[in-house]
Amino acid sequence: MVLIRIITLGTVLILSACSDNAEPQFKSLETTSAVSQPIRFALVSAPVTLSPLYATDATSVRINRLLYQRLVDFAVDGHPIPSLASWQRINLRHYRFTLKLDEYAQLPRFHHNKELTAQDVKASYQAVLDKKNASPHRKSLAHIERMDVLDKRTIDFYLSRDDALFPAFLVIGIMPKDLLKTHHPFNTQPVGSGDFVFSQWPFEGQLFLRRRSDKQLFEFLKVKDPTLRVLKLLRGEVDIVQNNLPPEHIQFLQKRAEDKTNPLLFLTKKGANYSYLGFNLQDKDTGSLLLRQAIAYALDRDKIIRYALGNAAQKAEGFFPEYHWLGSALMPYDFQQKKAIALMHQLGYSEKKRLSLSYKTSSDPFRIRIASIIQSQLKAVFIDVDIRSYDWGTFYGDIKKGHFQMYSLTWVGINTPDIFRYVFHSDSIPPTGANRGRLLNASIDQLIEQAEQEQDMAHYVQNYQRLQKKIQQVLPYVSLWYEDNIAFLRRDIIGYEVSANGNYDALHFVSRQTATH
Amino acid sequence: MLNFILARLLSAFGVILGVVLLVFLLIHLVPGDPIEVMLGESASAVDKTLLRHSLGLDKSLSEQFIQFLYGLSHFDFGMSLHSKKPIATLIAQRIMPTVELTLAALFVACLLAFPLGIMAALNKDKYPDGLAMGVSLIGVSIPNFLMGPLLILLFSVALGWFPVSGRSGLASLVLPALTLGSALAAILSRMIRASLLEVLNEDYIRTAKAKGLSKTRIIAVHALRNALLPVITLIGLQIGALLAGAVITEMVFSWPGLGQLTIESIQKRDYPVVQVCILLISTTYVVINTLTDIAYGLLDPRIRLSE
Repeated sequence: MVLIRIITLGTVLILSACSDNAEPQFKSLETTSAVSQPIRFALVSAPVTLSPLYATDATSVRINRLLYQRLVDFAVDGHPIPSLASWQRINLRHYRFTLKLDEYAQLPRFHHNKELTAQDVKASYQAVLDKKNASPHRKSLAHIERMDVLDKRTIDFYLSRDDALFPAFLVIGIMPKDLLKTHHPFNTQPVGSGDFVFSQWPFEGQLFLRRRSDKQLFEFLKVKDPTLRVLKLLRGEVDIVQNNLPPEHIQFLQKRAEDKTNPLLFLTKKGANYSYLGFNLQDKDTGSLLLRQAIAYALDRDKIIRYALGNAAQKAEGFFPEYHWLGSALMPYDFQQKKAIALMHQLGYSEKKRLSLSYKTSSDPFRIRIASIIQSQLKAVFIDVDIRSYDWGTFYGDIKKGHFQMYSLTWVGINTPDIFRYVFHSDSIPPTGANRGRLLNASIDQLIEQAEQEQDMAHYVQNYQRLQKKIQQVLPYVSLWYEDNIAFLRRDIIGYEVSANGNYDALHFVSRQTATH
Repeated sequence: MLNFILARLLSAFGVILGVVLLVFLLIHLVPGDPIEVMLGESASAVDKTLLRHSLGLDKSLSEQFIQFLYGLSHFDFGMSLHSKKPIATLIAQRIMPTVELTLAALFVACLLAFPLGIMAALNKDKYPDGLAMGVSLIGVSIPNFLMGPLLILLFSVALGWFPVSGRSGLASLVLPALTLGSALAAILSRMIRASLLEVLNEDYIRTAKAKGLSKTRIIAVHALRNALLPVITLIGLQIGALLAGAVITEMVFSWPGLGQLTIESIQKRDYPVVQVCILLISTTYVVINTLTDIAYGLLDPRIRLSE
């Protein structure tokens, strides 16, 4: 009897617990209760924060773009373009930004219906610059000396140094001044002026936003495992799956999408996320330029892209693809095994005297597979690669400490040329920057500094192109590829497009086609 | 008796304190810096130092440990380093799904184990006995990380009966519960079989038979009732194991429970969350074990005397 009672109690508890699944835990700013079937977007990782002050991970940044508007955005070729505001450079250290008006000659409004003015812009950037907030974006904006609000629409930024590319850094989401003053928890209850309003965040892996224009509800659901994501898409439990799928899953879904009777649609766009092989330049082996060149020539990237990446990537030679405004036609390191062998001979290695190198990577199965292919290709040029995979925290920690010979990683969302200082300047060795390979090259340092000081945009681009050519000669990285952005969606979802940087901006235009009889 | 209970409670407290200390030390030994994970490499050294200071991570390990214990004593679990949300809120969000899953798994385990165990006992050394014990052997042999995907392929993909993953109503609970409960069902069915076989040879069963009672009545009222005592004890002790086992099942089914939170927090080096999660799981274990010990002591004076 006791057992029966326990089982009955258990059943009642389970049933009652399951029924409150969608209860909102956080107060929503929604003013409507329009009922609609949500459009469900599968995520690999949940957003960490919904505050523009702290968003650094890709998912948080992408979700924040839907919730908040920013002064400046980027064109497809990476040029900064006006978003909320247009700008003019008054002098080398003085920029004026003017907020744009909508078609009714009005300023945008926040989700709590207050007007977005220059005061809010100032308050948002003050919050970033406030040491107490410890915003990770503070460093890139630390040269803002002063901000003056001239009127509701106009704000002046005064800088402590010349910066021709300053507008490119004004991409922080604008938050309302009144709520910033009261220390509103933007990280869990965002209030922006974007087209999407926060609805519910019942738990970390499930977020609901509602589109302001038509009240369409969107559900962002974390499904970490790629196989589960694919299965959920096939069963219609999610509507959109974007990126982070292994090639066999892509090919499997592609075949289904080719069949017009199948409810799946495939979209793709060339991406700009840059994958590379990094080297420890202070190591006695990988510190040798000849060895790095041999590795570069020994890698058959065409084959890796065709067979391991399912043709869903483009070969890379540098940080920026050629279509980027800072992109440059760089000397390619194409597959030339004989040349690689000759270089290895030059270094004194042969079939009898082989070189051993360690290669660190994350525990992601796909990254381990890529590492195995690279291991196999380097074997042919007398290099025995010892693959060591670690969980992300350990791997990342080792890379920053310089405890590696060779590793691979991907840079995501690179738009501005400050990346060169951050990655290759001798002042940027961790923890100051991301010069993880410990590159100490005076001429590269000099070229970076020259390029930064240039104020004429034509010369600016030329300087950075010269710098990229020099980096390609020194070869601190062996460039691998830019992975394409791909998306699979249910055929009743219309209006979605994949962006080059993997953002979710196309959700502004997406809708669900209702069946007609 | 009071001394016995006090001794048990004191020992439970000591175990929990030991677990807290061990977890605290081990998590701080794992390579990786939570500040780097939170701010990324692009943050300035000053900001990293400020954040480290504001979170108290610049203090010595002993100071951090004392601070953690002080917080615990006031039921203040602190803030998540990663999401900056109170840990109590995170736990509150995640504990109910895990409790749901555990209870559902227990329910499934009982639902499977009782018919199997009774069938095996009543048909000892016959074909149904072999079949029931074979099924239970399979249940206990297949690990959750394999059982889960197999069930998904069969019941979600091929038959389309249940959702693939996630927590979206009662239907989504079935497969995770079946995965988690299958191993317990196997253990329980074997226990029920053994216990029932023992009881069926007792004198009072023979008396019941002699009185002319129906077989169903003898089994349900006289045999099963007495055979259940060790089974119920086992169920109680297995609740802790189910909670711990839920970690893998939650990962397989994207079930937003305590296990998933623990794994994610380990990956993010979110020390305070990991500490609280492990503390919660181990406390559940210790509390259940202590209650069982005390209950045994109350029921059986020999245990008290031997102590």
